[in-house]
Amino acid sequence: MILSGTFTFEGPRSRVWEILQDPAVLAKALPGTKTLTKVGEDKYQGVMKVSVGPVNAAEFAMSVELKDKVEPEKFSLVIDGKGGVGFTKGTASIALEEQPGPVTVMTYTSDVQVGGKIAAVGQRLLESVGKMMTRQALDALNKELKSRL
Amino acid sequence: MPAEHRYLSARVARNEDARLLTGRALFVDDVQLPGMLHVAFVRSEHAHGRITNVDVSAAKRHTGVHAVYTAADLGSFQKPGPVLVTPPPIPNLIFNGCTQLPLAQDKVRHVGEAIAMVVADSRYVAEDAVREVVVDIDPIDAVVDLEKGLAAGAPLIHEHLESNVAAHVVQRKGNYVSARTKADTIVKRRFLYDRGVSAPIENRAVVVEWNDRSEEMTIWDTTQAPIPIRNGLARMLGLLESQVNVIAPFVGGGFGPKIMMFYPEELLLPWAAMRLKRPLKWTEDRQENFYATTQERGQVHDAEMALTRDGRILGVHDVFLFDTGAYDPYGLTIPINSQCTLLGPYDIANYESEFTAVFTNKTIVTPVRGAGRQHGVFVSERLLDLAARELGIDRVEIRKRNLIGPDKFPVNHEIMFQDSAPLIYDSGNYLPTLEQAADIIGYETFIRQEQPARRAEGRYLGVGVVCYVEGTGIGPYEGARVTIEPSGKVRCATGVGTQGQGHFTVFAQLVADALGVDVEGVKVVTGDTREFHWGTGTFASRGAVVAGSACHAAAMAVREKVLILAASLLSVTKEDLELSGGRVYVKSAPERGFSLGELSGKANPLRGAVRPGTEPGLESTAYFGPDRGSTASGVHAMVVEVDPETAMVEIKRYVVVHDCGTIINPMLVEGQIHGGVAHGIGNAFYEQLVYDEQGQLLNASFMDYLMPTATDVPPIETAHRETPSPYNPVGLKGVGEAGCIPTGALFAQAVEDALAGSGVEITEIPLSPNRLFEIIEAAKT
Repeated sequence: MILSGTFTFEGPRSRVWEILQDPAVLAKALPGTKTLTKVGEDKYQGVMKVSVGPVNAAEFAMSVELKDKVEPEKFSLVIDGKGGVGFTKGTASIALEEQPGPVTVMTYTSDVQVGGKIAAVGQRLLESVGKMMTRQALDALNKELKSRL
Repeated sequence: MPAEHRYLSARVARNEDARLLTGRALFVDDVQLPGMLHVAFVRSEHAHGRITNVDVSAAKRHTGVHAVYTAADLGSFQKPGPVLVTPPPIPNLIFNGCTQLPLAQDKVRHVGEAIAMVVADSRYVAEDAVREVVVDIDPIDAVVDLEKGLAAGAPLIHEHLESNVAAHVVQRKGNYVSARTKADTIVKRRFLYDRGVSAPIENRAVVVEWNDRSEEMTIWDTTQAPIPIRNGLARMLGLLESQVNVIAPFVGGGFGPKIMMFYPEELLLPWAAMRLKRPLKWTEDRQENFYATTQERGQVHDAEMALTRDGRILGVHDVFLFDTGAYDPYGLTIPINSQCTLLGPYDIANYESEFTAVFTNKTIVTPVRGAGRQHGVFVSERLLDLAARELGIDRVEIRKRNLIGPDKFPVNHEIMFQDSAPLIYDSGNYLPTLEQAADIIGYETFIRQEQPARRAEGRYLGVGVVCYVEGTGIGPYEGARVTIEPSGKVRCATGVGTQGQGHFTVFAQLVADALGVDVEGVKVVTGDTREFHWGTGTFASRGAVVAGSACHAAAMAVREKVLILAASLLSVTKEDLELSGGRVYVKSAPERGFSLGELSGKANPLRGAVRPGTEPGLESTAYFGPDRGSTASGVHAMVVEVDPETAMVEIKRYVVVHDCGTIINPMLVEGQIHGGVAHGIGNAFYEQLVYDEQGQLLNASFMDYLMPTATDVPPIETAHRETPSPYNPVGLKGVGEAGCIPTGALFAQAVEDALAGSGVEITEIPLSPNRLFEIIEAAKT
């Protein structure tokens, strides 16, 4: 599944970068995140709860690694999730560009493979759920950003 | 045959329906035993990968869990399963047999492959514990597409092989190369057929009880072949065959995948029951059925037909790929069926067919109703349609010109059939069948009047007419034991399993006619190895032909015993006697005689010895093994209406004229045909398994996998023709698969005809409204 798009944060790039690297903020912002802790340099582990169609509140043990960091321009993520109803595995890359305002335009693209029961029965809904969760997360992060400015 | 047939060819109501309709019939999941534990399986979520670790520690600690087994626990029981069907002796045949292990070890090769087995107090607890088993798999790129799987550098599914080739076979008849040089025209296309599931109402289920005192095992199994399962399991478990009893009770649909697969679940429950000394039950859920029960139909054909300008077929050349899935336990039955069925009812003197079976990271492929015959029919019928259009010959006419004449039988096609015997058509009468089907559907009137009239109104109606020939009723053999009990009731035990075909009625009809008793008074027992333990199983449209012939033979042997004993007691000759109304009596003096029950008592006296050369009772066991299968045939016709904007297709009429030899019970034959046609319509326009590039099955539920419903299947008009088979005494041919074999080819022709003039050409099945829409749009550009 490929999800990509752009999103405009209403704040400067340095502050956007800051919240994107803060597990406490991310845990609050990413929908379904139950825990997210830093376990090493650029390495995070957590538990996410996801509902996709008939698969309700499925828990995934997630590990996320940040790579290719060029502060404050871009970074990529390696995602590995495992749960009782399937797995998810993939990469995402994120680029940030500051524009007058100042606002920050994020360009993101992710290629995630989803397998197991969640793919088998939730296929039709995966993409729309993925898009919805991305939008919710970005909105929440933007709200957090604005509250800090 | 006895002189009087009261029941043969009669519409006898089914003996089994009272039990089925009142819920008294036993299905495997109905079996409840004291102390029974429940099993669930940990299955692979990856289509292809290396197992690096399986951690069952948390699952073992789970309350209510009795055992968790992985490959490491199985010891010497962990062996690849048997190759079930040995490939036929074809020169230069390559076959790489790779069969599945009870539990995956080192590698997984398809999503849903069993990795661990959890035994718990309830299925609920077992499923919870399954989620606590941690399986680490390093994914490997999956082989999904057949051609990519054969390309250099493709990931190897079985690493001891040099490629993903499971088999390679070439069969030739005549000389196609030289026939081609004489052709006025060559039609050539690529044809695709994709996968579906068999979708039985009842999924698979196994219950096992090991009696540690008597050292006997009883297995209730939804198998189509209880006897081979018993024999194989006994061998694998180190038991005598007589220590193992397999019962296949009522089964809610077989369709092929419930054949003697030695599925992991079928092997592991008996193994574990002996260790745990507790009865065990596993019932497959629908998700598991999509992953772990075998499937069929992925083939890619590159075929051409050489013809004269007056539409006579000079020869056919076909090269195809066959998707065998991750393992190939069923040998080459399917692709050889495709190869043989392509010849159809036509006189094709020159034929060359080459196939490559390819391993893929998908569920194992074994026969599903039709078993490859669909593909052969699709290729030859589509080629004929294309040739007809190119040559300006009517579709029905081009078929008529190529049919094998009734005086040509037996026809030897000089290639090997799936039963390792040469493909020989025993009998047939094709032209009247085709004419009758065209007549019933009103072909001429339709194309001359109705179709143009509707088209003028802006409606797109089309008609299709296709032929098929089906090899049925193959050996090796089946048996039956018929007993007249002192009550006068008759018992007939046979080894085949039953999945709704009506065996309790058709076998009873054959026995009742032989013995002159009421059909309701014949109790048929099937699928219980304690009752009858020689035989093979229910597959290849062979139940009625082979087991039916055995029931007939056993009943005729009992009839002979009745005549001998009664003649002796009445001091008359056998020829003086008649069996009717449950009695044997002197024809000229009907009051002189015995009821069969009374005679049964006299055949088993409390005083007086059994004389040499005689046996007690009125009982006989007989076997029937045909040298080769009998050849059924038929013609299907259909009228469709296509909405060119939505690409929705409505089937307005469906006609089946078929010839399955002597018909035992027309009502049950029609039932088989109706079910088959529904199955075929599903294959043609609704059902398709969708895998992504990594081998994930994306529509593994009935939410997304579309089955035809009652509203999608029109009333089916049937006509029966009977050309008896010379290969069995009653003249029987099989009919179980007939309904679904030509449906894809027919649907394609009818839809194409409805859209005639649009440039739409259908070379693939299944279609769907969406796919058909794409084809219609593509034809516009």
